[in-house]
Amino acid sequence: MNQGPADRPDRLQEALSQLPRGIEPGRDLWPGIAARLEPRSEPARVRAVPRWAWAAAAATVLVVASSIVTATLMRREAAMTARTAPTAQSAPEVVQAVAGSATAAFGPGHRVGPAYLANRRVLARELEVRLARLPPEGREQLAKNIAELRRASAEINAALELHPGDPLLEELLFNIYQDEISVLANVDRLTAADTKTAPTRIPL
Amino acid sequence: MNEHGIESEFERARRAADERALVDSAQGGSTAAFETLYRNHVGKVYGLCLRMTANRATAEDCTQEAFIQAWRSLPSFQNRSAFGTWLHRIAVNAVLAQGRKRRERLGADASADEDAERLPHPDSGDDGGVLDLERAIAMLPAGARQVLVLVGLCGHSHEEAAAMLGLAVGTCKSQLHRARQMLAERLAVPEGQP
Repeated sequence: MNQGPADRPDRLQEALSQLPRGIEPGRDLWPGIAARLEPRSEPARVRAVPRWAWAAAAATVLVVASSIVTATLMRREAAMTARTAPTAQSAPEVVQAVAGSATAAFGPGHRVGPAYLANRRVLARELEVRLARLPPEGREQLAKNIAELRRASAEINAALELHPGDPLLEELLFNIYQDEISVLANVDRLTAADTKTAPTRIPL
Repeated sequence: MNEHGIESEFERARRAADERALVDSAQGGSTAAFETLYRNHVGKVYGLCLRMTANRATAEDCTQEAFIQAWRSLPSFQNRSAFGTWLHRIAVNAVLAQGRKRRERLGADASADEDAERLPHPDSGDDGGVLDLERAIAMLPAGARQVLVLVGLCGHSHEEAAAMLGLAVGTCKSQLHRARQMLAERLAVPEGQP
């Protein structure tokens, strides 16, 4: 294969390639690092997520879109439920999906906060009861929504492994977890006759 | 290494296995294992940070931050990439985060006080040509220098470097072209000549 002039390695590139990759620092940096290493046994704390304006705007779109879709779906399903007799059939696949994601991490080295996990557990327990009032199609749609959120959170967690500490990825993950809570809270709200409270943002 | 200085497949595999064991131990909380990982990789991390920042003190800070971030992130490291590759990404992020903080703190004059230390480390090579090249790289504008380090030295593609630096691929290419032109002028190397 012929090499064009642009493909030929030039002298500058050759000189660059001969530079040593490593340069030893002038002093030992380890003591300063060792002093700041947290013991592994302590649970890592969730860091404050930086509030990038555009990321926040994207998050708002996500939450609003998710809430509108879920609310519309649930209202339609609630109306269908009113027309049909309540079924005793539960939706183990949906509850399992929620319970299974309870081990979600908040990126490398971080875990979701206890308040978030506690709220999620409560919602997951309530979900089983509430789901019995939904028709099978509603449960299936809900399972799809939750599976989609879990898939997205898994992908972002994988990306965070490659780009640890990336504030944008952390922000997106934060909002996906909040979306999941919003979906669960909407199910809870829309299937409960006596509850009118809107879903709230829960600290992770 | 064999007699020709070439690492055999066996040696490479053994080294990878040793590193995997160190990573496993460090994930379990062993700071001794993590210190060994630090000793094995600090040269490359510091070299990257020094060349990207062109400032020794800043490079030391970034190196420390990179290893601290690596320790925090280790529990979720799943060996999908080599530890060194993963650490390299962390170091790049540490340099970029440090640059953002510096710009926020100092505004547009962020690079004004860097010149005093814009010299390569004395241990970076004893060859006059190498030292000249290191010096010339250090004197490049920050944007051009970072692209040159990531693409020209570390071998990243323009797409990878652009993603890491938050640039358009076209900007990345033009920054590299600019860096190469400036280096060629400073070193009197005819740019693009074989």
